[in-house]
Amino acid sequence: MFLEQLSGNLFQGLILGAVYGMATMGLSLIFGVLRVVNVGHGAFMMVGAYCSLWAFHGLGVAPILALPLAMLVGMGLGLIFYYTVIRRLIKAPELATLLATFAFGVILEETIKLIATSESRGFNWDIGKIDFGFTILPYTKLIAFAGSVLIALLLYWWFNKTRAGMAMRCVVEDDQGARVCGINVEWEYALSFSLGLGLTVASGVLLTMFIPVGIQPYMGGGYTLKAFVIAVLGGLTSPYGAFFGGLVFGLLENGSYSLFAQIPGLEPFAMTRFFSFVMLLVILLFRPTGLLRAR
Amino acid sequence: MGAARKYAPLLPVLGLYAALFAIGLLVPGKWQLIAQLVFYCALGQAFNLFMGMTGYVDFGYVAFMGVGAYGMAVTVSSLSDKGLGLWLIPLGLVHAAIFSILLSLAVGAVALRLRGAYFAIATIGVNEGFRFLIEGARLWNGSAGIIFSRNMKEAFGREGAIEISTFWADVLVFAVAVLAAVMTMVYLCSKVGYALTALREDEDAAKVMGINVTRYKIVAFITSAVLAGLLGACAWALKLTYVYPADVFEIHYTVEAIIIVLLGGAGTLLGPIVGGLIYAASKYYLAVTVPGLQLLIFAPIILTIIVLFPEGTVGMVKRRCRSTVLERFIH
Amino acid sequence: MSFLVLENVTKRFGGLVAVDAVNMRVEHGEMLAIVGPNGAGKTTLFNLINGVFLADEGRILFDGVDITRYPAYKRAHLGIGRTFQIPRPFASATVRENIAIGGMFGADGNEIDVDHAMGMADHYIDLLGLTPHRDKPAGRLTPVEKKMVEIARALAMKPRLLLMDEAMAGMNPKDIDGMVDLIKQIRETEGIAIIAMVEHIMRAVVSLAERVLVMHQGAKLVDEPTHRALTDPKVVEVYLGEAGEARHA
Repeated sequence: MFLEQLSGNLFQGLILGAVYGMATMGLSLIFGVLRVVNVGHGAFMMVGAYCSLWAFHGLGVAPILALPLAMLVGMGLGLIFYYTVIRRLIKAPELATLLATFAFGVILEETIKLIATSESRGFNWDIGKIDFGFTILPYTKLIAFAGSVLIALLLYWWFNKTRAGMAMRCVVEDDQGARVCGINVEWEYALSFSLGLGLTVASGVLLTMFIPVGIQPYMGGGYTLKAFVIAVLGGLTSPYGAFFGGLVFGLLENGSYSLFAQIPGLEPFAMTRFFSFVMLLVILLFRPTGLLRAR
Repeated sequence: MGAARKYAPLLPVLGLYAALFAIGLLVPGKWQLIAQLVFYCALGQAFNLFMGMTGYVDFGYVAFMGVGAYGMAVTVSSLSDKGLGLWLIPLGLVHAAIFSILLSLAVGAVALRLRGAYFAIATIGVNEGFRFLIEGARLWNGSAGIIFSRNMKEAFGREGAIEISTFWADVLVFAVAVLAAVMTMVYLCSKVGYALTALREDEDAAKVMGINVTRYKIVAFITSAVLAGLLGACAWALKLTYVYPADVFEIHYTVEAIIIVLLGGAGTLLGPIVGGLIYAASKYYLAVTVPGLQLLIFAPIILTIIVLFPEGTVGMVKRRCRSTVLERFIH
Repeated sequence: MSFLVLENVTKRFGGLVAVDAVNMRVEHGEMLAIVGPNGAGKTTLFNLINGVFLADEGRILFDGVDITRYPAYKRAHLGIGRTFQIPRPFASATVRENIAIGGMFGADGNEIDVDHAMGMADHYIDLLGLTPHRDKPAGRLTPVEKKMVEIARALAMKPRLLLMDEAMAGMNPKDIDGMVDLIKQIRETEGIAIIAMVEHIMRAVVSLAERVLVMHQGAKLVDEPTHRALTDPKVVEVYLGEAGEARHA
């Protein structure tokens, strides 16, 4: 009985993990290319969640259609933030970009609060479910899973098969060398930053497929921490590492929830969140380059 | 150079605090406002001791205030019936300090081995992590928190309890502010300050110069944490007579601390104080004129400061006063 | 017993072998120059002696102590000082403070307090002609002035072994001669046991070094008294190619 519940939970964890992983790809991309940590990560996901909300309530369409819109919104924000602030901070100490991205997050949260109030919103998009025997999965979650995998594959294709993507990879490896090869590194920075944010906002839409409630301006905080754990799991600079890190994290998160639920006197939800923090510290201590990197 | 000359910059600071104290006492109705001002100055100074002087951002800073508040709350609520009277307060402060030291050692042991961005990431989860530990393991009543107004009355009498939470708690905040100023000055004038400056500017070169950077980072980290703990014990626990995990691990206090240090100038003595005053005054003014929009206004200000004025107010003034008499008093 | 001993020291970065099983000895009071083409591994070798990198293989002994796994700051306490090729003064601190920091944390650091260190700084400021810049933030100096601050700071650490990395890079001939005289003076008056230099600039090498170690592709090519080393055909070939060898012969 417990085993069935556990395997159900783990399966759900894997599905959710794909969404988490996709959400973290943007973070890893930005860090890999610009060495900037987007501390406001969760806030950008929140923007995506609101896009989804607006699509459903405002336009009356399936929220998944908000995905391209969210991507564009994210990229637009990315270009704005890059050209106004980040570009001037490339040479500044790390503290500066940390605080800047943090400030971006605050601006997003407060602006959304102004527009939409801090009331917690949600929607209910019920298109049926599929029964796997040991667990039941709503189609919405399946779509979220498929969407995440699809985007991850698209990114893979982009990085490996297109000139633009390969140029970006060059900058990650060695930006001086890339310059010498005639790559416009400035533009690559701007592009990576906006692409990274685009992915992050888009992931907010996919997240709402999974959790269509509790959408409020400050929902991002918890996801920022999760994203960092995942990014560190996957090696911080690699978007693919982030994706697989997400899968691992989804499994660990749900698995630990089941475990904690078995122990009396503990609140499994809070303990799971504590556990993700411990995971982060443990990985940073022993394998800061990530569990999934060969080196 | 005599000690008097070295410590001269402390004088205007102490004078300022004395003046504020006097205003608070003498002008009717202004005590709470003054107390708020001094709270932010103390917060800025405590935070500056680590972030300003080492250049590392501890995003989980509020956790130290939180555990300090718990230290006091736990002391008062469990020992109120032992007839210790006013001794409970220093005892609570000692516990607050001990809790902060323990947490800072635990976090520091991992985080301080890490550089720049990795350090920030490690600390981001600290307040979340600790809060969820308390809620998850139902420590100290878990999410229900500790409400100890009854215990306060039991220990100090009804009149005493009210006086403590409305007046003496704030006086203690003044004391923490003064302590923070003194500690900052002591560090700035000693080897510790130079070591921190060196490691902030260029950590690898500092190591080559013989500086054990880890040791100095830990010293700054723990000092900053203890001050935060004392602040939390006084300004939160003692003043409000209750502690909820959701409140005392609220990240926006870390945000405020960052704003204050940036506004005033990181790594200086006066910086966080100036920053604290500006911030508290602005916050009050904005709360009255455009309530709910304070952060929205402050965030772009932070960005402007980071990009255009990285040294903050005091940093700029210091630069202008470089070869004048004033220099001796602005540190 | 030699003052500094490197036994089979190797350092790899991924697939690249930067320093390849180098053996060398430096004696008390010796002045040794390490030369070699770009990429030969000279700076990495310095970084290994200094503690900026830890060796992957081999041993390093300093005055009999096995410092192979010592962190950089501990090696500084034992008496290894260093200047960097591109000077790295602490930009927001004044020249005086920069040099004092060297004194405060260097070899005798434990007995030296802030005031004493400031006094030491004044001594070195005079020695190196930095008096007009004493209270300027180090970040505002010219590159040559920054180099002087680097050297003063390293000297204030009271090193017994001073590693000078490309101390004369980018200088004009007059400045180079000045620097050569300075180094000779330092060696005599400061009583520093050894200065090991890494130099592309041959005239300095010839005037100062008693022995030259030539590196090539991470390994030691030649290790001999100066004149012999510089005319060794292997060295000529490495610098000038085989045509150069023919022309030389």
